[in-house]
Amino acid sequence: MTRVRTKIDEKYCKGCNICVAICPVKVYVEGESLSSRGYTIPVIRRAEECMDAKREPGEKKKCELCVYVCPDQAIGWENE
Amino acid sequence: MSKLEPGTYFMQGDEASVEGAIHAGCKFFAGYPITPATEIAERMARRLRQAGGVFLQLEDEITAIAAIIGASWTGTKAMTATSGPGFSLMQENLGYACMTETPIVIVDVQRSGPSTGQPTRAAQGDVMQARWGSHGDYEVIALAPNSVQEMFDLTITAFNLSERYRVPAIVLSDADIGHMRGTFVIPEKVEIVDRKYHTKPVSYNAFAYDENLVPNFPKFGQGHRVHITGLTHDISGYPKTTDAKVHEALVTRLVNKIRLHREDICRAEVINPHADSLVVAYGSPSNSVYEVVNERADVGLFRPITLWPFPEEQLRECAAHARRILVLEMNMGQIYWEVERIARKSPCEKIELLTRLGGDVHTPEEILEKLA
Amino acid sequence: MNFFDFYRQDRWPHMFCPGCGIGTVMNAFFHAFVESGLDQNKTVFVAGIGCSGRIPGYIRADSLHTTHGRPIAFAGGIKVADPDLKVVVFSGDGDLGAIGGNHFINACRRNVELTVICINNYIYGMTGGQASTTTPRDFFSSTTPYGNREYPFDLSEVAVAAGANYVARWTTFHVKQMKKAMQKALLKDGFSFVEIASQCPAQFGRYNQMNSARQVFEWLKASAVPRSKASKLSADHLDLNLMGKITVGEFVERNRESYMKALGVLQ
Repeated sequence: MTRVRTKIDEKYCKGCNICVAICPVKVYVEGESLSSRGYTIPVIRRAEECMDAKREPGEKKKCELCVYVCPDQAIGWENE
Repeated sequence: MSKLEPGTYFMQGDEASVEGAIHAGCKFFAGYPITPATEIAERMARRLRQAGGVFLQLEDEITAIAAIIGASWTGTKAMTATSGPGFSLMQENLGYACMTETPIVIVDVQRSGPSTGQPTRAAQGDVMQARWGSHGDYEVIALAPNSVQEMFDLTITAFNLSERYRVPAIVLSDADIGHMRGTFVIPEKVEIVDRKYHTKPVSYNAFAYDENLVPNFPKFGQGHRVHITGLTHDISGYPKTTDAKVHEALVTRLVNKIRLHREDICRAEVINPHADSLVVAYGSPSNSVYEVVNERADVGLFRPITLWPFPEEQLRECAAHARRILVLEMNMGQIYWEVERIARKSPCEKIELLTRLGGDVHTPEEILEKLA
Repeated sequence: MNFFDFYRQDRWPHMFCPGCGIGTVMNAFFHAFVESGLDQNKTVFVAGIGCSGRIPGYIRADSLHTTHGRPIAFAGGIKVADPDLKVVVFSGDGDLGAIGGNHFINACRRNVELTVICINNYIYGMTGGQASTTTPRDFFSSTTPYGNREYPFDLSEVAVAAGANYVARWTTFHVKQMKKAMQKALLKDGFSFVEIASQCPAQFGRYNQMNSARQVFEWLKASAVPRSKASKLSADHLDLNLMGKITVGEFVERNRESYMKALGVLQ
């Protein structure tokens, strides 16, 4: 089974890296390569540290700060 | 007591305007005190509650016009009243109402300007401001009453035209007419026009229009989910600010929806249309002309009741027979230039202006002397 | 409800610059609105001019994009004329602190039943980075090339003094608190005001040696001090900017009689 984790939608991401700044467990790092829209998309480096990814099935999400803060609505959940 | 019963009443012009508004179905008034229009706000404060409406006194005239535009978007007939200084403050949002095609009524009881001028004295200095005061190209409707009766009648007409064409309508009164006391009659039957509403949800077709060029009105709170903006927009209502064609189409329609309906909108009173000398007057000064035309069969009166759009065709017909035209205005010449433009090509020899400033009205003697 | 049931997906991605805080405010507002149980078809969104003015154009609801500084004036008319509608205003520091200051304080004073969300980015963003009434002292902008010599407004303190029923301020870093404050504001009777200190990397950051959205965001985060703590600091003025700090939290919550109840329009 693939783990639940956050994903960044390249269609929407404008590469502001605010997710890098807000994540309390440093899941994201600033990216280096350009997206097809010309933005540097952050990279999910430590997905396993994400506290909402680690939660038990049925348990409520307690962080989700990156999803809330992303100004371009580019962060969502995978395999949920 | 919502509307007054049919019958004869004795009232001030400003107060008659309030009764006209209530007759027309006005349920919302927002204003700010200003001489000589304050009596409208004062009577509205008392009467609107009886008529099931709301009266608001707000922090300035900018808020007043903004509030009535907001109210109009809920499908409520709304009005404000002011005088020159307040009317100046309203100009930006007057343009907004034109751009968003919001029906509103403004009663401007004119006083002498510029600036604070003579607060209690009548003038006709806002005529061009009513037409051109906001930036950009647009058309409004402006009506000029000359009696207490017309303060009542034309306030209703202003509401009717504003609703029919989704455009601001202005009653351009003056301190003399507003403060004049007199009798007026409320007839048994008064024609009331309501705007046409969208009945089905429109969303992205909010400004779709037919050959009348007037879109139906999608009032708020009905699930239309429309976006209304003062930015240039296409029929969806959403901004399209860099496409020249979209802007041209929009502004052309806003202007044409009034220009193409001039026959319906334009009203004028004509006495002795084939007279040798034609006096053009509106508002207060026109009352002095009645005496003149009673005495002199060779003098005619052309009184534009609709100032904007100007009753061009009607004037052209009269001008074709006149040897001379005399325009009376309580300003340094505003409608005079309209008359000049329209009558220029007629055989008429002289087109003159007789101006009165400071609140005094032209006397019949002065007019006769000028015509001698 | 999904995000794009509330916002118009066909107009996405939105026009805001990379890193602009408005998108974050839209996220928080979406959650607050949904959790408040309000009806989208019975809510009208009103905005003025500037970046914040573009928010209602993205919402699937009736919206009025008005003239500069005047959204509260229009919104008051809508609300009083049809009390069944919920009316929300999105506004910026230019709208509220400068050209529309009079509407703002008087609507607070009357306690009109409106929810006003102010995105304060301390600068005129859309016109290219001119100083606003909230630009901190000594900060730079295109019209303060030698540093801003004026004292800024504290919009939330102004709202409290003017009489609003609910006032809160958070930064874009405080997404959860912001959401909660918005929810409280939406459900509050009378005038409610939520100010969000937000990053404008394209203008404010550029003129003030903060070269990325992340840097401005982190500046906001570092400057925020809870109001409870700020009141204990020794300063003659609790102004966020004089202190170099942004006081955040709830400024007031009270139940003065609201406007339409006072007028007798509502029972």
